Amino acid sequence: MTIHLSILIFWPLALAVLGGLAPRRAAPVFALVGALVPLGYAVLMLLDFKAGGGLQYVTDDEWIAELGVHYKLGVDGVNAWLVALTALLFAASAVWLMLRPPVRASLFAVHFGIAETAVLGAFLAQDLALFVLFFDLMLVPFYFLVGQWGGPDRVAAAMKMVVYTLVGSLLMLAGAAATAVLSARGPAELTFVLSDLARNPLPESTQKWIFVTFALAFLIKMPAFPFHGWMPDAYRTMPLPALAVFSGVVSKVAAYGFLKLVMPLFPAAVADFKLALLIFGLASILYGSVQAFTQTNARLILGYSSMAQLGFIVVGLFAADAAGAGAQGALLQAVNHGLVVAPLFFVVALLVERAGTEDITAMGGMAVRAPVLAALFLISALATLAMPGSANFAGEFLILLGAFEAEMAVAFVASLGVVLASVYALRMYIRTMHNRLAPGVTSVDLSLRDAIVLVPLVLCIIAFALYPQQALRDSEPDVKASMAPVVQADGGAAAQTAEATP
Amino acid sequence: MSLTTLAWLVLLFPLAGAVVIALTWRLLPWKAHGWIGTGAIGLSFAAAVGTLIALQGRGEEDRQVVSVAWDYAETSGVDAQLSILIDPLSVFMICVVSGVSTLIHLYSVSYMASDRGYTRFFAYLNFFVFSMLLLVLAGNFMILIVGWAFVGAASYFLISFWYRRTTATAAGIKAFVINVLGDVGLVLGTYFIFRGTGSLDFLRTFEEAGQAFSHNDPDLVAGCLLLLVGAFAKSAQVPLHTWLPDAMEGPTPVSALIHAATMVTAGVYLIARMHPLFELAPTAADVGAIIGCATMLIAASIAMVVTDLKRVIAYSTMSQIGYMVMAVSSAAYAAGLFHLMTHAFFKALLFMAAGSVIAAMAGVQNLDRMGGFRRAMPFTFACMVIGGLTLSGIPPLSGFFSKDEIISLLFERGDWHVALGVLGYLGALLTAIYTFRMIFRAFFGEPVPEARELEQGHLFHAEQHTNPATGEVEDTDVGFPGPEHHIAEREGTMKVAMGALAALAVLGGAVQIPKVNESLHHFLEPTFHDSRLYEELAPSGTAIWIGMGLGATLGALGIFIAYTLWVKRPEQPARIRERLAFAHDFFAHKWYFDEVIDFLVVRPFAWTGRFAANTFERVVVNGALVDGTSVAVRAASAAVRGVQSGYLRYYAALLLVGITGLGAYFLISA
Repeated sequence: MTIHLSILIFWPLALAVLGGLAPRRAAPVFALVGALVPLGYAVLMLLDFKAGGGLQYVTDDEWIAELGVHYKLGVDGVNAWLVALTALLFAASAVWLMLRPPVRASLFAVHFGIAETAVLGAFLAQDLALFVLFFDLMLVPFYFLVGQWGGPDRVAAAMKMVVYTLVGSLLMLAGAAATAVLSARGPAELTFVLSDLARNPLPESTQKWIFVTFALAFLIKMPAFPFHGWMPDAYRTMPLPALAVFSGVVSKVAAYGFLKLVMPLFPAAVADFKLALLIFGLASILYGSVQAFTQTNARLILGYSSMAQLGFIVVGLFAADAAGAGAQGALLQAVNHGLVVAPLFFVVALLVERAGTEDITAMGGMAVRAPVLAALFLISALATLAMPGSANFAGEFLILLGAFEAEMAVAFVASLGVVLASVYALRMYIRTMHNRLAPGVTSVDLSLRDAIVLVPLVLCIIAFALYPQQALRDSEPDVKASMAPVVQADGGAAAQTAEATP
Repeated sequence: MSLTTLAWLVLLFPLAGAVVIALTWRLLPWKAHGWIGTGAIGLSFAAAVGTLIALQGRGEEDRQVVSVAWDYAETSGVDAQLSILIDPLSVFMICVVSGVSTLIHLYSVSYMASDRGYTRFFAYLNFFVFSMLLLVLAGNFMILIVGWAFVGAASYFLISFWYRRTTATAAGIKAFVINVLGDVGLVLGTYFIFRGTGSLDFLRTFEEAGQAFSHNDPDLVAGCLLLLVGAFAKSAQVPLHTWLPDAMEGPTPVSALIHAATMVTAGVYLIARMHPLFELAPTAADVGAIIGCATMLIAASIAMVVTDLKRVIAYSTMSQIGYMVMAVSSAAYAAGLFHLMTHAFFKALLFMAAGSVIAAMAGVQNLDRMGGFRRAMPFTFACMVIGGLTLSGIPPLSGFFSKDEIISLLFERGDWHVALGVLGYLGALLTAIYTFRMIFRAFFGEPVPEARELEQGHLFHAEQHTNPATGEVEDTDVGFPGPEHHIAEREGTMKVAMGALAALAVLGGAVQIPKVNESLHHFLEPTFHDSRLYEELAPSGTAIWIGMGLGATLGALGIFIAYTLWVKRPEQPARIRERLAFAHDFFAHKWYFDEVIDFLVVRPFAWTGRFAANTFERVVVNGALVDGTSVAVRAASAAVRGVQSGYLRYYAALLLVGITGLGAYFLISA
């Protein structure tokens, strides 16, 4: 029993509130400390993490006794690297915000702090009710960040985002309540603790409808095709430092939710709906890629490319191959995508500064006097298209391998997304950095304050590319454990069909 | 130093070179970067030779060594390590690659001297060499794919090197995307093989393959065909070849190194490396042989009519790689690799000579504008002729031996491979014709003004440079092409590089002369010890001599035809073109591959994208789903009349407040 995780989760919130109360000049320092301490914490925790050591740094207090809700937190192989990623991206954004303060910076920082607390809480929660709480809390700060600091049409975009994702959240809330109530043998045994719930699986028919509520919530949050209606408007208008963490980690909470909650709790339903979810994944890959090479707004290109990448994650998770390659790849890819998309959004911010527009057809030639910016952009772009040698490739390789073992056709269709990724990533790079300098565009290299944010992130990409093994080693036992019920249910179903056929 | 240390050093020097050049781009004077780059590759070559010596010091059974640096992505039964395989095949490849690369770096030191992107050029070039060496040294599929993609990326960087040209950036993305298609083929092929053998490691895969797959097992055939997709994309075999001619947008040393001598031969290496699998799946191997043959002829036919100097050589490269693919797919491994080596020498030489001519023309590459450079550029002319004779297979130059080795083994293989051999002779005739067409048109006839000026000791300078493809005025302020040009006649380093390659092109055949000296065949034996056909395929003495005689005759005949057409009767080609207008148009349009691919692939995707962005998103995603949800929410809120105030937004805000309040309540109550 330790208090470490509670400090980790609530530190950003506490510092943000303090910063809000402190004199205006001191506020950025508070925000920075609020983001850097969790990063240090997360890194130490990662170094200290024992692969296969079960849940670590556990905090478990009874919270609402009459409902069986626990305040239970813990680190395992599934969330360890995601927590570190969250801390890293929030720290990078905090540095960025300190060096380029937005209007009403201290209020911005408060929302940012709430956001980090919510995301970390969602990743670390080991209780279903606690997860739902943090999951919905994530929406609040981003609602205000869009609604108050966004670009044109911010109010409409914020409403659309909130209403649409809230519908999913409410469904999930109902699903979560039903899970606890229906799996309890009596009112005294009501519990929301994940490990207890996993021990009492629900009957298959119940699992099915509850699964649908969770799946909808997560697919909307990611977003996956065709539930992404809120995404273009929100991405178009959200302030870029917020978008970097939003796209980098908030969407990962949904992917994480599938792996951490849905797989162990509703294995039979997963086995039933496997094909449907694989198709949603494939559709996201293809639709996202096609949109990404058609859109001309740099933010939307990244938004749709994220949709395609999350499609890969869905495919990896629901491949549910016996060896577990797909799920392992999906988790690795979740970390990779966050690590790559955040610097890309910062790059977009720099491009917009130089071009005065977000339309890539009006940009061009910016590499001329900006070789460092061009190099950092190129490395990130190559990583995002999952060039072999990047950790993204290791992730995609495992995902496609899992899909290949489960449903060969899925792997073939998904691999089309790999080719399309090279088209949209390079198109964006070439249209902005290469060819002639477009009228009204200036070519200026990275300043020191940009380099402080971008260079460490790109170095992380390179380091991760050289040695993805550590993340895989840390996560393997727990990912396997999470997927085991599904593999078993799936194997059982397959065996049944095999018996039925002759 | 041990064998493995040396092999890792082969990889490390170019990587270190690229990193050092990139990090010191502002600290050191630009001239230093050329020498750092050349030195790094030179050291790499020295280490490669050291590896060769160390390998030969071992017993024959002991010449396949795997060295692991660290685990890369070992999980869920996937054994992906960062490992290299040192065996005769990989050592042969690293020696050829690093050796030729050293010379081309040396050439570039002068050739690129006035380019503003000098430093960037050498960083990319070193990165390329690192990638290529990683590709050939890879000890498992994962690292092979990494090297495979890295060379593709390096090729992209260098094709788009003069990125101010829209033609260069378009050529770059085309090359990259087709190469990624190849990568995907490789990945999927790997899955098929992995599923059978349960290992990514090469040696373990080859060991297991015999038990895991039956003869012509459908899984293995599928896997091998997918590997061929990778090989074809990289080695520019039809129909995945369309990027190679466009790749000539890159600087000429790039064309020499990447798009002639090394990267494009990766497919040949791949098939040779995977020979145990292809021998188990002969159907796939047959497909490889047929495609190689088709590419050989198609490319040769286009090379007959193309008027861009570099593209003639590019199509010739495609054609020659067709020979190599045909050879290794027909189990003539040593012959294919032998041709790979000699081709690296003479084709790099031809490109270098072409670069010298293009520099003298101040960037113009059109053969129609050239002529009479023979007296103005004697050294370049001599190199071009040596390269041309070697390419045409004139004895006793190296290309003569390597090409005839391939054709004679095709005949020896029997069955329908005989047809491939016959077509191989046809290709040889065409090769000689198009090669000397190019040489006669550039160097013979009336000297053009540029050649005249050079004869009087002045290098021609254009008032302003224009992109030949678009007519756009070049931006000489940054990058291409720099105000100065450098020709071999005036640059010592270029002369040294070209001289060395010319010597290799002339003498390189000595490593493998049938019945006289078969050292290459013996050297490679430990890699191919498990091949059924490697030892079996050995043509008899008379067949060899007849074949060689025929090959030499055809080469000479081709040169004679070219001489008649373009020197003796220069009015004749126009008349032939008129009479065969249909064929000429068909060849000049490159068999319409670009148009067909555009129609079948590019346009449908672009259309789908527009439909998704303009219509589908609005009608279905926003219309049906988002608005539908709003309607549902509104309906639900209407149901709870008491609370709702008529506005959706208040309702949503209420939900938000409600949930936050709920959370706060529980927090406090805890």
